[in-house]
Amino acid sequence: MLSGWHDLPVHQIPEGTSLTAGEAWTIAFTYFTVAITVSLVHSTAGTATWVIVAATLLVNSATATLAYAAVTAAGGSAVAGVLGGCLTATRFGVLAAALAPRLWPQRWKRAVAAFAAFDPNIALANREQNDSDVRRVYIAMSLWLVLPWWLGASIGVVIGDWISDPKALGMDAMFPALFVAIIRPQLTTNNARLIAVSGACVALALVEVLQGGLPILVAALPALLALRSRESGAT
Amino acid sequence: MLTWGVVAVLAVGVYGQRALGMALVDPERLGFRSRQVLAMVPLSILCAVTALQTLSTQGELVLDARVAGIVAATLLSWKRVPMFVVVVVAAAVTSAVRGLS
Repeated sequence: MLSGWHDLPVHQIPEGTSLTAGEAWTIAFTYFTVAITVSLVHSTAGTATWVIVAATLLVNSATATLAYAAVTAAGGSAVAGVLGGCLTATRFGVLAAALAPRLWPQRWKRAVAAFAAFDPNIALANREQNDSDVRRVYIAMSLWLVLPWWLGASIGVVIGDWISDPKALGMDAMFPALFVAIIRPQLTTNNARLIAVSGACVALALVEVLQGGLPILVAALPALLALRSRESGAT
Repeated sequence: MLTWGVVAVLAVGVYGQRALGMALVDPERLGFRSRQVLAMVPLSILCAVTALQTLSTQGELVLDARVAGIVAATLLSWKRVPMFVVVVVAAAVTSAVRGLS
């Protein structure tokens, strides 16, 4: 019945999966709000309105464009900014690789799916037991995330002047808070808790030593602790 | 300041890494142990990102009002409070602590 992604009711929450409407709306709300603040940062730096909208749609990564803005605002060249931006986005490649075995066997489908590889949609899709549910949650969550993201960025360039200081509103705490809420239910085993704490500690230990997104890249290594797991039984 | 050229290069650079990640892994040739490790990568990375977004700014460790917000978010998550409340309370606590200091 589910022969391809075109027959899926993607505007809804996929039935029979762990994804809840509350999660979908929260992620949509968070990405919408954060997108407004990201637009604000770029317009304050002097970026033209249409370039901000294009950056949100095409780069599809706040960390990359913000890293570029940070490097160039600190006096770095455009080349250094682009390198910084690409480096911070390395985690999306690793996350994509992590979910790839559970997505479609066809490369072109995974290549399309790659465009929307973010943290929350990969984490929530990864939670599903069946690969078919992984795919349905990934498509649904990607839309729940990317559409508010684009909408927020577009609205942000228009209403940006009204929000004088996003930090005063605590908006910089929204992403980490959302991630905490996504992480918490995954900490069901000792191994998961160990991997979680190790990932955080590795990143914090390396943040002042390594450039851009490299601390996060190294922080993927604690996942190897999964091999010591006895909990999932035999192969 | 972003320009059209920068946006184009960043778009190719970021998508390239995402596509590379998807392409490098061949689902049909992957063993059980590799799958076990890959399944835990998002958790490890998500925790790393959370820690950095809470305790660092542009590559430097920083202790500020965000920590209070994330502590609140952690406590609420453990109480299984709905995700939406977690996010809004975290922002409100961060905002309040920042306003007081």
